Amino acid sequence: MKVLALISGGKDSVFNMVKCVEKGHEIVALANALPPSNSEKEELDSFLFQTVGQSSVHYIAQCMDLPLYQVEINGLPVNQSLDYEKTINDETEDLYVLVKKALDKHPDIGGVSVGAILSSYQSNRVKNILGLQMLAYLWQRDQGELLSEMIDNNMNSILIKVAGIGLGKDDLCKSLSEMKEKLEMLASGEYETFTLDCPLFKKKIEIVEWEPITHSDSAFASVYYVNFKKIVLKEKNI
Amino acid sequence: MVNFTIDQIRGLMDHVANIRNMSVIAHVDHGKSTLTDSLVSKAGIISGAKAGETRFTDTRQDEQDRCITIKSTAISMYFELGAEGIADIKQKVDGNGFLINLIDSPGHVDFSSEVTAALRVTDGALVVVDCVSGVSVQTETVLRQALTEKIKPVVIINKVDRALLELQLKKEDLYTSFLRTIENVNVIISTYYDPGMGDLQVDPEKGTVAFGSGLHGWGFTLTQFASRYAKKFGVDKSKMMSKLWGENYFNPKTKKWTSKSNDADGKPLERAFNMFILDPIFKLFDTIMNFKKDEALNMLDKLEVVLKSDERDLEGKALLKVAMRKFLPAADALLEMICVHLPSPLTSQNYRAENLYEGPMDDECGVAIKNCDPKGPLMLYISKMVPTSDKGRFYAFGRVFSGTVRSGQKVRIQGPNYVPGKKDDLFVKSIQRTVLMMGRYVESIEDCPAGNIVGLVGVDQFLLKSGTITTSEVAHNLKVMKFSVSPVVQVAVDVKNPNDLPKLIEGLKRLSKSDPCVQCLTNESGEHIVAGAGELHLEICLKDLEEDHAQVPIKFGNPVVAYRETVQSESSITCLSKSKNKHNRIFMKAMPLDDELIQEIEDGKISPRGDFKIRARDLADKYGWDVTDARKIWCFGPDTTGPNLLVDVTKGVQYLNEIKDSCVAAFQWATKEGPCAEEVMRGVRFNILDVTLHADSIHRGGGEIIPATRRVLYASTMTATPGLQEPVYLVEIQCPENAIGGIYSVLNRRRGQVFSEEQRVGTPMYTVKAYMPVSESFGFTADLRSNTGGRAFPQSVFDHWQLMNGNPLEPGKVQEVVLGVRKRKGLAPEIPPLDRYLDKL
Repeated sequence: MKVLALISGGKDSVFNMVKCVEKGHEIVALANALPPSNSEKEELDSFLFQTVGQSSVHYIAQCMDLPLYQVEINGLPVNQSLDYEKTINDETEDLYVLVKKALDKHPDIGGVSVGAILSSYQSNRVKNILGLQMLAYLWQRDQGELLSEMIDNNMNSILIKVAGIGLGKDDLCKSLSEMKEKLEMLASGEYETFTLDCPLFKKKIEIVEWEPITHSDSAFASVYYVNFKKIVLKEKNI
Repeated sequence: MVNFTIDQIRGLMDHVANIRNMSVIAHVDHGKSTLTDSLVSKAGIISGAKAGETRFTDTRQDEQDRCITIKSTAISMYFELGAEGIADIKQKVDGNGFLINLIDSPGHVDFSSEVTAALRVTDGALVVVDCVSGVSVQTETVLRQALTEKIKPVVIINKVDRALLELQLKKEDLYTSFLRTIENVNVIISTYYDPGMGDLQVDPEKGTVAFGSGLHGWGFTLTQFASRYAKKFGVDKSKMMSKLWGENYFNPKTKKWTSKSNDADGKPLERAFNMFILDPIFKLFDTIMNFKKDEALNMLDKLEVVLKSDERDLEGKALLKVAMRKFLPAADALLEMICVHLPSPLTSQNYRAENLYEGPMDDECGVAIKNCDPKGPLMLYISKMVPTSDKGRFYAFGRVFSGTVRSGQKVRIQGPNYVPGKKDDLFVKSIQRTVLMMGRYVESIEDCPAGNIVGLVGVDQFLLKSGTITTSEVAHNLKVMKFSVSPVVQVAVDVKNPNDLPKLIEGLKRLSKSDPCVQCLTNESGEHIVAGAGELHLEICLKDLEEDHAQVPIKFGNPVVAYRETVQSESSITCLSKSKNKHNRIFMKAMPLDDELIQEIEDGKISPRGDFKIRARDLADKYGWDVTDARKIWCFGPDTTGPNLLVDVTKGVQYLNEIKDSCVAAFQWATKEGPCAEEVMRGVRFNILDVTLHADSIHRGGGEIIPATRRVLYASTMTATPGLQEPVYLVEIQCPENAIGGIYSVLNRRRGQVFSEEQRVGTPMYTVKAYMPVSESFGFTADLRSNTGGRAFPQSVFDHWQLMNGNPLEPGKVQEVVLGVRKRKGLAPEIPPLDRYLDKL
């Protein structure tokens, strides 16, 4: 089946693509939602999308040599209930616009790859988009197990946003394998990642320069994220 | 051991009706240990000649040196009661041999927790009151503690020899002094009434008050004299008892009894108590001390007191001691009073059961406790840990309330946090050995039935300080003891040599085990803190830590005081905090709790246990709460019992119950470490006004909710005019009149406030009472001594928390204190600003 992959750049969405390929599907295009270009900051606190590091997702498309379709997030989380019904100006509508855009170019797409693991909120919104089949191989899997599996599969992802007790500024831009022990002790959803390399990539990404940004410095719930300043692609020597 | 063997004692343990478990309680220096010695000398563990000099129950070297009791000590004794005494007993009796388990407890307020632990395992108490100083602050404290535990008191007025020899009191003055002391005791007792226990008032006519001198080894109750005179006058003994006290006079001319103090001619008559009881004692004192030896010996013959020939050669005080001890042996009088008037375990557990057991009274354990049934399921309460000669190991000391405990028996060890049906704080282990603990000696016994006090080997590592041991799987816990003192004085400890650190940590663990009250904790900057009830308590703890528990050189910091954080008004704004993903919002306000309500929570009268509907009704009636709100108290904190409340006042919020656990966890954490100085919070009510939650449960887990709740708790505290409370001592000082000036000047310098100054009638001594902040109390005793030439003796006991004037968020004294605490704890030097906790909508 030809598959459109919704990617955030994070480890889960990329790893799900690896899984899709393993199961014999073919990824034909990538899609991702961007924070609006006129917005001053990169972090939006969206209910649906990972927003940090989105401006660098096109590097992943280059690495994989696939077309990337992007759309700006103009909607807001208007409908916040668990089950989604069509709501005007909701950010979920942006997602539909995005998938439609890709579908127009590749009418043979039959499925959507999604990296959702536990959030029914997210999966309910992706399910049955325009009659496409949702491929979420990570759904309801054990997080610790997944983490080891990703590392074993030569995934190289780094932390780009931390928001948990136990994670701090110093942990930014550390790779999964470096942070494995610490991450296993934490509950879910307290950090976001960006993938630099995986078996599907033909080239790999290298961060040359970056800076940490403090998002909200409130007591015992500080959130920090990374702003990439210079990124280069390197050939993989296979 | 002269009088009995272990096997004999073990035999006696089965006759529960003839067991008396009792503690000796009193103010410091009123002579408990000395009095105990005279009892022990009768039971034959040390020879009679040394009584009054050895302090048998003060087993530690420092106790002997300082002449104060630090640890409570248990001793078993055996006494055979005469037929007359048996007839007086109003409960079930089983033969004439009695096993008396006595616990001598410390009198110094700093060690009150030892008293609490002693009271729990006993059924009766011998209250010792110094005849000269009267009922003092600690007498009242321990007596109240005893009555709360449903312990029946009897009284001995001690040190009567001092009244005679030093103060040279007249007979009538002495009687008045006795009367006043007894009245003072009864005033305290009258505030407690329990239908199960019956009348608790002490009364010489009933034989529940003794008079005597522990040091000289003599003492009496009216019973001894009544039986002596009953024969002479040919009247009934109980009738004679009532004649010997109160407004009863005997006219020697007409040989008639009257209740008027004058005879027909208007001449004053002598009170019967003075005439028949005090007169022979006064005469003996007079003749012997004034070297009228022939007269004295003559009198002794008349009193049928037989002295040996070498005793006859004695002079002065030595002769007086021997004569008085033979005339009125203290041990006989006291042991008889104990056996006759104190309840047996069988009697007392019947009314104590409800007070002891947390579970329902009709389950198998409840019933067995009530009946003190040795064949029922084992219910044993460990009240304290006693160090063994083996370093780092402890005997678990406690009382068997039902069943029989055996060596090798497999038991369930339930700590204070055990909840029936769950596995927390529960161990199933075997008891290695059961032992009988007697002062300095420990004897192994095979088993120990209900109603007895016992030591266990092999359970110490499973219990922190106290706990319940049972064989029943459905058993609830026995109630945790409530201490009257709290650890308000702290000191930081550190090793001199960094390599010794592991030993220090191990030592702190042992210290915490060996003392019911001490707290050992580590603060955020990694400092080790030892907290105790007072300066003396800390001093003893630190000495034990260095010499026994850790055995490495230790550095001590200056003592510091624990504060409490509170609020002084309602939050000025509705505070909001968002979770990290910004998708959950909590709205909250804080407000102060009523002072009396705080007190009731701290006293355990209003607690998280029990029916919430009754609690809500109480809060509504007494403190004007809205009943609906009062029913929705989510929890108490810190430690789930503290005087801060989290109340749900939201209306119709979806999924609210799902985040309750997270909110409670955050609340426990926040109230343990307040926003200003990370001190414990006290007296704050937090109202959850509204909550918006993410629709998907995965996005409103603990990781999101706990930090958000904690932040909003802090934000609402900081917007509600935060305040700081400091602990205040009640100081009682005994001194002669000319030392009062010195006392005032010392108290003034230390922010003390005198609220009472009384002269003790019949003595030149004054009693001054004052409130003084604990933070000003370091070195107080020494300061007072040097300013009064050593004539003033203070007793300080924690009394209440006092709100300090000012707001920690504004510059001033309070802020200085807060910043000092932060610096000491190694926190950021400034109080974090409000916007660290408060989010914008």
